[in-house]
Amino acid sequence: MTWLPFAHALAARQDLPIPAWLFAWAASIVLIVSFVALSAAWRSPRFEEAHWRPLGAGPSRLLLSWPLQALCGAVGVFLLGVAVYAGLRGTEAPDRNFALTFLFVTCWLGFPVFSALLGDVFRPFNPWRAVGRAAGAGFRAIAGQRPVHLAYPRALGRWPAALGLLAFVWLEVVYGGSGGVAVGLDPYVVGVAALLYSAYTLAMMALFGTEEWCERGEVFSVYFGMFSQLGCFGVEDGRLGRRRPFAAATRWATLPGSTAVVIASIASTSFDGGSEGAFKGAIESTVGWLIDLGAGPLAAQRLGDTIFMLLCFAGVGLVYLLGVRGMRTVPGAPSLAKLRTGFAHTLVPIALAYLVAHYFSLFVFQEQAQFTYLLSDPLGTATTDLFGTASGGVDYRVLSANAIWYIQVGALVVGHVIGLTLAHDRALVYWPDYREAARSQYWMLAVMVAFTCFGLYLLSVANG
Amino acid sequence: MRHASKLVLTLFVLVGAVGLTACGSSSDEGSGAGQGAGSTATKPSDGPESASMGGKVPSIVIRGGEPVGGVKELEYDAGDEIRFEVESDVADEVHVHGYDLMQDVPAGGTVSFDFPAEIEGIFEVELEGRGEQIAELRVNP
Repeated sequence: MTWLPFAHALAARQDLPIPAWLFAWAASIVLIVSFVALSAAWRSPRFEEAHWRPLGAGPSRLLLSWPLQALCGAVGVFLLGVAVYAGLRGTEAPDRNFALTFLFVTCWLGFPVFSALLGDVFRPFNPWRAVGRAAGAGFRAIAGQRPVHLAYPRALGRWPAALGLLAFVWLEVVYGGSGGVAVGLDPYVVGVAALLYSAYTLAMMALFGTEEWCERGEVFSVYFGMFSQLGCFGVEDGRLGRRRPFAAATRWATLPGSTAVVIASIASTSFDGGSEGAFKGAIESTVGWLIDLGAGPLAAQRLGDTIFMLLCFAGVGLVYLLGVRGMRTVPGAPSLAKLRTGFAHTLVPIALAYLVAHYFSLFVFQEQAQFTYLLSDPLGTATTDLFGTASGGVDYRVLSANAIWYIQVGALVVGHVIGLTLAHDRALVYWPDYREAARSQYWMLAVMVAFTCFGLYLLSVANG
Repeated sequence: MRHASKLVLTLFVLVGAVGLTACGSSSDEGSGAGQGAGSTATKPSDGPESASMGGKVPSIVIRGGEPVGGVKELEYDAGDEIRFEVESDVADEVHVHGYDLMQDVPAGGTVSFDFPAEIEGIFEVELEGRGEQIAELRVNP
């Protein structure tokens, strides 16, 4: 059980695998609901129009005012600073150090969910954007002109973010996961990585402009922003407003590389879950083979994990491309490239469902640590008790195994149904005849059912 | 035209049905293969490790700081009484994660644990000083 040592090192409890009977029920429900959804009288697109309705001017003015934005940015910079300091100066034990839980659980798992519910909440707190904007304002005040930036290469699109996403997960799951017995990521490594990423991000912002880089290259802005497209709150023309849920997502994938971002998200969650159970044997034999070839044990472990992570990325991408390729067989289909970007957003709810299903329990348990001992004793050296909660602990009784199973299955089924609905809706744009649209969606249906079954399968063999 | 779409639909139902059975069977197979020796999740009486049967208390023997016969699997149902012993040739501290129970074991000594299975899930039992996992405790709902 030393696989997934990172999550392992943090949470002392692991989930029990979803039992076979629940697995079978969930898969059946997915199939039945899919058929009903397709045959339902859904004959014209409903999500292409956002139905934007601005909220009152008062809340907009308050929430988007520059002092509040500056305050949020300062909070973001401060918290990143605390995490880096705790990483560099705090204890080596991952579970006692503020840096790991704050960055990899509170932010990495918290922001996707809150973004989907409340809109792009990361944007005001983004520490790099805050620094970039402050630097821009300083430059304008001193030089009396706007800073000049390079033109961002259009074809690059969101590819830097997709690669950054894979690199981040690689650091967490592969590099941090191969330290041997329940070691997890060294907090010092996390501190150094955060500093390096900050330097890289600020340099890119200086080259291409803060907002431009946040939209395309900054991993966390792009990743959390992707989930915020699902929700019904947003900002347009400087006003807060409400829109139809999921409607904004229909326009999200237009930048090149967006498809890679969402596929990277699904693939990395799959790899993290699968390395515990489904791929465990295969990874072990690959590692053994690499050792036979002369690699050191640690290098072989990391290389083996890396290979399987990339295989996950390729596999998820291939299934999606097969679904898209299948749609081309329906008369009147647009070009392959158009179909590929046209349906990428339908995977976003699935990516969120995968996240919730795999990490919900880790989040609930670890946030108890975050708001008790990690908050009061961020360095983990038992020298501080800032809020008097340093002696707190995690109560593993708050979630029963049954509750976790139902949440896992529920998330996958709901995510699948939303993805399927978005795909059907988009098909109606390309094929005005609803019967042909429905026919094109047999392919997408197969893709979605494959993803859901795969997700359930991973959860059913986890920790085996 | 209608013929073609009927055909596609039929094909799809078939693919779906096959997929479902494949998913179902592979899950059984997967969990069976993954659990190895202790693959008797629902039938604790089959496994020699299952202590819920009563009678003999399972014992984890430590030699040279490592568990003899590998990481021991202990499986219980919620509400059972969890009982096991750790017999060690090295001095260390035995830590049951999740339940957060700790006991010191002297070199050549034995400690026994006895507590109710009230938290469901999979937990590590570890020699804290060495960071060596010696048992995996599963509590099924």
